[in-house]
Amino acid sequence: MLSVQLHWDPFDQLDPGPCINVVVTNSQDVIRAGRSIGLEYPEPRPMRALLDTGASVTVISKKFADHSRLFQTNEGSEITAIGATHRCGEHAGAISFPGTSLRALDPIRILSADFPGERHYAILIGRDILRNWLIVFDGRSKCVTITE
Amino acid sequence: MARTGQFSAELKVFERHRDEWVRSHPGQYVAIQGDVVEGFFETYAEAFKAGLSAFGVRRGFLVKQVWTTEPVYLVS
Repeated sequence: MLSVQLHWDPFDQLDPGPCINVVVTNSQDVIRAGRSIGLEYPEPRPMRALLDTGASVTVISKKFADHSRLFQTNEGSEITAIGATHRCGEHAGAISFPGTSLRALDPIRILSADFPGERHYAILIGRDILRNWLIVFDGRSKCVTITE
Repeated sequence: MARTGQFSAELKVFERHRDEWVRSHPGQYVAIQGDVVEGFFETYAEAFKAGLSAFGVRRGFLVKQVWTTEPVYLVS
């Protein structure tokens, strides 16, 4: 089994938490179908994602969902974060993990919501993805290891 | 693109049938475009693929899980 190691410093209060590089695009099936009728899609763009065991679902910043022109499949879903409720969209996308051996997920449901003021990451990787992996949070070594 | 009001027709169809579908397809995912119901599926991915195959990408389609009440997802 191959593993991925991420740096994370729980002793640094400004550390946002364990983050991984991801690329979020439309599902390859959507891109193929869209291109066949002349639709265009933006080039994939790497972004940072937080491994968030507190998130039941994967959520992308609405700004990046719009930039990626993610295919929307629902609207008006609700998420609660720190007591506040936010309305969000639902999209069918694909997530890959460049530079790692982790398997890409395509298609996968991704919710979109406003991330006001967040500078460190554009995506929360929720338990719908985390449940596929063995993850070790080693605070003393400042390291997170993901094994698929 | 994230737009609101995009699925108003599909959501009306869903609400019209919700009680019936909760009994017949609880927890399953349904794919709808306009008033056309493509079917019910065990997973989101299956419903999405079926919807894409039936409806294409020119116009969006709804993929929604059948519940009595809407879930509120937690992000903490």
